[in-house]
Amino acid sequence: MLTYRASGVVNFAHAALGMFCAYAYYELRATGELALPLLGLPARVPVVERPTVFTALVAVLVMAAVMGLLQHVLVFRPLRSAPPLARVVASLGIFLYLQDLARLRFRKAGAASFEITSFLPRGSRELFGVVVPNNRFALAAIAITIAVAAGALYQWTRFGLATRAAAESEKGALLLGLAPDRLAAANWALASVLSALSVILITGITKQLDPIATSLLVIPALAAALLGGLSSFTLATVAGFAIGMAQSGVLTYVTRADWIPGWLPRGGVERSLPFLVIIAAIVWRGRTIPARDALVEQRLPESPSPRHPLVAATVLGGAAVAGLWTLSSQWRLAIVVSVIAATIALSSVVLTGYVGQISLAQYAFAGVAAFTTAKLAADADIPFPWSPLLAIAVTVAVGVAVGVPAVRVRGMTLAIATAGAAVAIQELFFNSSAVGGIAGLEVPPPALFGVDLGFAAVGADNFRPAFGTLAVVLLALACVAVANLRRSPTGLRWLAVRANERAAAAAGVNVTAAKLTAFAISSGLAALGGVLLAYQLPTLSPDAFLVVGALALLALTYLGGIASITGAIVAGLLAAGGVVTKLGGGTSGSSPEYQFAVSGLALVVVAIVWPDGVAGALRRLAARIRR
Amino acid sequence: MTAVLEVAGLRAGYSGVEVLHGIDLRVDAGEVVALLGANGAGKTTTLHAVCGLVTRTGGDVRVLGATVPRGRASATVWRTARRGLALVSEDRALFSQLTVGENLTLGPRRRDRRAVEEALGLFPVLRDLLGRRAGLCSGGEQQMLAIARALAGRPRLLLVDECSLGLAPIVVGQLLPAIRRIADTGTAVVLVEQHVPAALAVADRAYVLSRGAVAYDGDAGTLAARPDVLEEAYLGRA
Repeated sequence: MLTYRASGVVNFAHAALGMFCAYAYYELRATGELALPLLGLPARVPVVERPTVFTALVAVLVMAAVMGLLQHVLVFRPLRSAPPLARVVASLGIFLYLQDLARLRFRKAGAASFEITSFLPRGSRELFGVVVPNNRFALAAIAITIAVAAGALYQWTRFGLATRAAAESEKGALLLGLAPDRLAAANWALASVLSALSVILITGITKQLDPIATSLLVIPALAAALLGGLSSFTLATVAGFAIGMAQSGVLTYVTRADWIPGWLPRGGVERSLPFLVIIAAIVWRGRTIPARDALVEQRLPESPSPRHPLVAATVLGGAAVAGLWTLSSQWRLAIVVSVIAATIALSSVVLTGYVGQISLAQYAFAGVAAFTTAKLAADADIPFPWSPLLAIAVTVAVGVAVGVPAVRVRGMTLAIATAGAAVAIQELFFNSSAVGGIAGLEVPPPALFGVDLGFAAVGADNFRPAFGTLAVVLLALACVAVANLRRSPTGLRWLAVRANERAAAAAGVNVTAAKLTAFAISSGLAALGGVLLAYQLPTLSPDAFLVVGALALLALTYLGGIASITGAIVAGLLAAGGVVTKLGGGTSGSSPEYQFAVSGLALVVVAIVWPDGVAGALRRLAARIRR
Repeated sequence: MTAVLEVAGLRAGYSGVEVLHGIDLRVDAGEVVALLGANGAGKTTTLHAVCGLVTRTGGDVRVLGATVPRGRASATVWRTARRGLALVSEDRALFSQLTVGENLTLGPRRRDRRAVEEALGLFPVLRDLLGRRAGLCSGGEQQMLAIARALAGRPRLLLVDECSLGLAPIVVGQLLPAIRRIADTGTAVVLVEQHVPAALAVADRAYVLSRGAVAYDGDAGTLAARPDVLEEAYLGRA
């Protein structure tokens, strides 16, 4: 929330930073060495022989402040006039980087290299008939103190006022002689320190520290911040407490209640219910058309009208098919992975690029389609062309169902709400024993008119090109269809909604209908990708459809050019396990050790250099050559 | 009289297209200077080049005797603002999420209750709105707030871009005399205005811009009596 104030960034890497600092803190307590967060610097520096709680905490918090400053200076200051999505992409890059770095630096973390201890008081006391450990009281007290202090700082001091002003209008602040840069830097440092402190406190109690799970704490935290309208510390704190209490309350209730059907995963109910509540609250607060004082994000990525889509689809599709029939099996796999990723990315192009609705639920939609296909084909014995078609229909229904409440929210709020929806779908549906659960499902291979379209085969024939060809043809058809939609009146209405919902409504565009059609088409495309994925993967498990995957693919699509079909194809090529990673892996024989850390950094760098994406950069280059 | 703003041979433009082809201006302390001209003549660009929002490609701009540097826009704007220049920009650049009162307190560089009170004195309407979010105010109220906020900083040089935009004639009738009174306290004022007669009524001198160059400069009263100059500038008659 502080960083949003400072630079208008919703920072997905916030908890990741705290996570890294928490690791560093526990290790420092144990060994007296401080782990540094930058590749290229020595991994660790000795600080003091036997650090006390206090010295260790100070050292780590200073490091957190420096990390915050670095993020500001190196990443978010260069991006301050970039479209908001570029900043989100950069924060995702940092997220990946920190997560992977923590995995590398603290590899022995699982073993007994250090102990996770809390310095909060031990023991417990009774409150309203429930035994509550003392450390919870201390934690609550600290949280409330911080919230009150922060609230006072931003409400009553000139620093706070100026921060709020500068976050909204940098030009206005400059014209008044305020220094937005320094304000932002100070806020980044402060926010990072708070993040590190809270993760250290929380993990001290829960004893659970994990690069991924801890980093994902950011989603409930953002949700709480959203309930506070991204500006009220009181509301955010209350919301934070409410979410936490609801979670443990639901957990106790669920384990006792027997009306809940057995196929619902109970842990899933615990983890997803708060999200559903949040979504409801956010939507309830939202409005169909933004109010007058709503902040309007000014810059939008270019969305050129596609030219010659049929020709392009034929040429590219032809090349891909040729590759499928001539190259080795590993290449065939890479091409198919890219094609599927491009299909899902295309769904983001429609929803996020054309209509401006940032959705992080695309992978969840794909997952719904994939599991439904698997279920229909394996259990209900519905033959090939019908099971996936039915699954796509189901997914479109789910997509529209998510879209109906989403019509009332927009921008980052929508992004977080859809992330919440994705988590809920994942916890309740994918992990459910009725659908398959963690164990995974196997999908019978598809066949049409006696032609075996299955992907996997035994021996050198593995990854059969017939399936790849089907996928390529479907993607090409989808691209041509999307291109035509973009040029149709529907496409124009989408772009109008993206540019200014109020103006679009005033010009006679039915904003709700435009958004819902986009949700329907987009979830349909995601479903297509999901169905293909179901057939491609040897076993279907929920891991393939996590929110993190959606974040990464959205980032790649953004880099490719979120508002153009080219962007989806670039994203597909760049996707993990796709053609580009195959190329990269083939040439350098590289060290996969740092792969994610490096690709995270690459994401940040590309977002800074080409805030409009690779497709935009290519287009400008082409325009210059023509001139 | 001491020159607060001296502009010599100012050239500026956007992405390679030159808009201003050598502008000369001079504004003294306590003076209201009207900057007139048809749409696209370069009025706003001139103001932006003076405060650094647009980086100039040639010429010299001196505010209060010191040359405005040609560096990064953000640093330049900040520095000129600190030196005592205030721009009321066409888009108002208000902080719509903050209240009217908070917007006003950000005007002065330190907390200066008196300056805020004086600014409120010029626009009594704002007094009833202090607790309202600026974004919820009407267009006219926002315009008044933008000017009041600039004044609360006690600027030595005030640039006002289209101050009558979106305001009722009766409010304009109060606003322009208010600007006159500001100048009478020693502030130099540059007024970009579409409402020509009203502007000339309060201005001491006027510049008429045409296609990025100064077409006329001189006494405001004299210009008011020369409809031919204005007609040519606005209607482009040869």
